[in-house]
Amino acid sequence: MAERATDRVTRMLGIVSYLEANGATPFGELAAQFGVSVDQIRKDVLTLWVSGLPGYMPDDLIDFDPDLFDEDVARLREGHGVSQVRFSAREAVALIGALQSLIASGVAPAAAHSAMEKLRDALGVEGIETSRPAQIPGEVLGPLRQAILERHAVQLDYVDAKDNRTSRTVEPHRIVSIGGVAYLECWCRRAEGYRTLRIDRMGAVEMLDDDVATAPSDAVGFDLQTRFEATVVLAPGARWAIEDLPGVTLEAAGDDVVARFGVADAAFVAGRLLSVAPYVRSVEPQELREALAVQAHAVLAAQA
Amino acid sequence: MAQIDPAERLLNLIIALTHARTRMTRAQIRESVAGYEPLPAGLSEEEAARRDAAFERMFERDKDDLRRMGIPLQTVVDPTHGDEIGYRIDPSNARMQAIDLTPAELAVVALAAEYWTDATVGQEARQALTKVASGSGPRPQVALPFAARSVASSEAILVLAEAIQHRQAVRFEYASANSGSVGVRTVEPWHLSMGGGAQYLTGLDRDRGQARTFRVSRILGAVRTIGPDGAYEVPDPLPVGGDRGQEPLKTARVALRPESGHALRERGTPAGTDDGWDVVDVEYRYGDALRDEVLALGGAARIVEPAELAAHVRDHARAALEVSRG
Repeated sequence: MAERATDRVTRMLGIVSYLEANGATPFGELAAQFGVSVDQIRKDVLTLWVSGLPGYMPDDLIDFDPDLFDEDVARLREGHGVSQVRFSAREAVALIGALQSLIASGVAPAAAHSAMEKLRDALGVEGIETSRPAQIPGEVLGPLRQAILERHAVQLDYVDAKDNRTSRTVEPHRIVSIGGVAYLECWCRRAEGYRTLRIDRMGAVEMLDDDVATAPSDAVGFDLQTRFEATVVLAPGARWAIEDLPGVTLEAAGDDVVARFGVADAAFVAGRLLSVAPYVRSVEPQELREALAVQAHAVLAAQA
Repeated sequence: MAQIDPAERLLNLIIALTHARTRMTRAQIRESVAGYEPLPAGLSEEEAARRDAAFERMFERDKDDLRRMGIPLQTVVDPTHGDEIGYRIDPSNARMQAIDLTPAELAVVALAAEYWTDATVGQEARQALTKVASGSGPRPQVALPFAARSVASSEAILVLAEAIQHRQAVRFEYASANSGSVGVRTVEPWHLSMGGGAQYLTGLDRDRGQARTFRVSRILGAVRTIGPDGAYEVPDPLPVGGDRGQEPLKTARVALRPESGHALRERGTPAGTDDGWDVVDVEYRYGDALRDEVLALGGAARIVEPAELAAHVRDHARAALEVSRG
């Protein structure tokens, strides 16, 4: 996507603020700080250099040290009071919402909590409030984190979506938070495949002596392949539960909506369908209906 | 003056308005700020009108951009100069507050900025990160063994947050939780509550004349703002439920199979065991969210009370069985 003018201006204001606080800074450091190329930083500095107060005489312009510029270092000589501007409501909700989801999954690094505290004060946007997060117990998370860091395998108890308890040895690669739920990406030695396991379904976790031998998978989270195509007909009011599934297409059929999508994890999709079950008209194929029936039976057996 | 990049014009406009002693009128902006074209003498009336219209369009776009960046643009009317509106930016009001993040905090905020799968929301989050980065020390280039992705995200929360700030009414299509039907709602938005996977809006439903809470993921399609800024006051305190405009806090008793349902366990208070199940009391605001959480645990959890919520769980499971018969 092409860069918006507002993105570029926000970065240029940021460059001036950063230089005011940190003094002469190599272009490379600015590039890393703002997540753009060195070439883009050079262009930004050049644009800042010809900008300034109306009149645009030499003394009116933002000024940099020309000798250092030739060495790819930015040093501000005159900033004319230019500085970064406060957060917009849109920016604040996008950043706080993301951080909140990380925290809500219960596995975010400790720094996420302190960053949230500082940002809430600084963003100062009214009418947005965040709830107290869940926490994954330390006896699960502690050994997982240590094992990832030290590249050791772990032994863990796991309760799967069908309530089967297994003990597995996995090679942990990364913790991911997907929509506020925490997962472990790992190589499962028993299944001999990459797995994404829900951390809140893990019991005792124990770090083993042997090393991680597999490389992490490239895909984040749902690295499972699409296994079959599904077609679900539902009332329009239930559309929200499936409209964000990857690759979903929706079309109207009379008063109903027909959704088609690829299914990687039938239990996951069945969970979604359960939450709007009274408004689901039909489910194809048989495999997804079975997954739905298994979960529904399990719920009814528990909730007798 | 030669055509310059829109970003350059916007930058010069910000600098000019920040330094304006009292205010700048549109005519002064057009005359003096680099990037706008002053009107040359000797144009035909038709050509002059065309250029006037082009300037107005450009300036309106730039005003929208300033708003989008979060810059408060003041309009100043000076009675000694007729009724023409002038503009300025108050530097003390526009400036970002210092945020002193540690390198570890900055790294996790950078990770959060990549959270959204929705392109528009992601763009706003990255722009917020740019602002955070400009007020912090150097950002460490470390790869955390941690990643995050959203499942559901839409522009709706952006529009709602902005509307709350500007006290502007909104209109959207909403799927009712109870009937499964879709209706158009016109709402004066007051408050957004961000949980883990779900976000809730509280506001005045104009057609019903009552405060209501909406689950943002049930909003279908776009949220449109309607009417002017400053159209209403947010009541203080908010009339719905608790002190922060949410549904009132209730307590449910939930039974969990051993070593499952950690999220519920952690939120709740232990209340003994029952035939091999662990029992916890969990506070909740939104019954549908707790119901979905229990359903998603697929039999590893059940609602002990309230009975109404237990019935909802059963109804959903029975309906699912019905449809799974094909």
